[in-house]
Amino acid sequence: MDGTAVSAPAAPAAPPEDFESLLAPVVERAYGTALRLTGEAADAEDLVQEAALRAFQAFHQYRQGTNFRAWFFRILLNCFYASRRKKRPETSLEALEEAPPLYLYSRTAEAGLHAPGRDPAREVLDRIAGEDAARAVASLPEEFRVVATLYFMDDFSYQEIAGVLDVPVGTVRSRLHRGRKLLQKALWEVATDAGLVAARSEDA
Amino acid sequence: MSASDQYDCHEAFRRLDDYVDRELPPEQMERVQAHLEICAICAAEVRFEATVLDELRGKLRRIGVPGGLMERISARIAQARAAEGPTG
Repeated sequence: MDGTAVSAPAAPAAPPEDFESLLAPVVERAYGTALRLTGEAADAEDLVQEAALRAFQAFHQYRQGTNFRAWFFRILLNCFYASRRKKRPETSLEALEEAPPLYLYSRTAEAGLHAPGRDPAREVLDRIAGEDAARAVASLPEEFRVVATLYFMDDFSYQEIAGVLDVPVGTVRSRLHRGRKLLQKALWEVATDAGLVAARSEDA
Repeated sequence: MSASDQYDCHEAFRRLDDYVDRELPPEQMERVQAHLEICAICAAEVRFEATVLDELRGKLRRIGVPGGLMERISARIAQARAAEGPTG
């Protein structure tokens, strides 16, 4: 061992953290995600509480020093899917209409919003209230909605989302990119309903 | 970076979603970046997509967390602990 050690000296083992001190910093994020998944405050709190209890009971399986947030969210998503199984069946992804790439970019260009000095993306989003944005995400098929929710609400990488959902990273990438295109289509409808294009033609 | 290393619009566009999410390998991130520095159209598309995502993220995250959530969770955990007995 002397002089030949190639591995870094072992760090002094940190004292194991207890469940609640690991959970407390992630519980608000978990609630936000649960709210966007379920759409109802009462359902969101039930989901977080259920996941917390399950996680507490399974805490002996958590490896100290690993990503607690990802571990907990995996349980949260399992609880969410378990509750969903009792509800309505989803449309198949194959049957789903595809939205073209750069949907909003093209629509806003056609509507004449790309003049110099303007920020067309912000003009679209300024027309969209928070609850309408949430409804647009909620309108996505479940597979896309779940990936999009983890992406927007939690700063997870594709790899982390893949771990939380137990699917390949390529599946996350494809669902997220397709979901975002559909989302742009939904957002355009909300923004135009809110008078985006009409307002612009009045300016002209 | 030599001219032959540079992405054209098509190659950069194929990577647009991964680029705005910083999910490309570092070498590809750099090559997309280099293309955006010389192509105003692709740069405008990337800026547009990134703004939409940022604005949407901000709107979706604006939520009120119910007061006392962690306390209610702790209470349920205390109940579960009590039910398990002193040895856990």
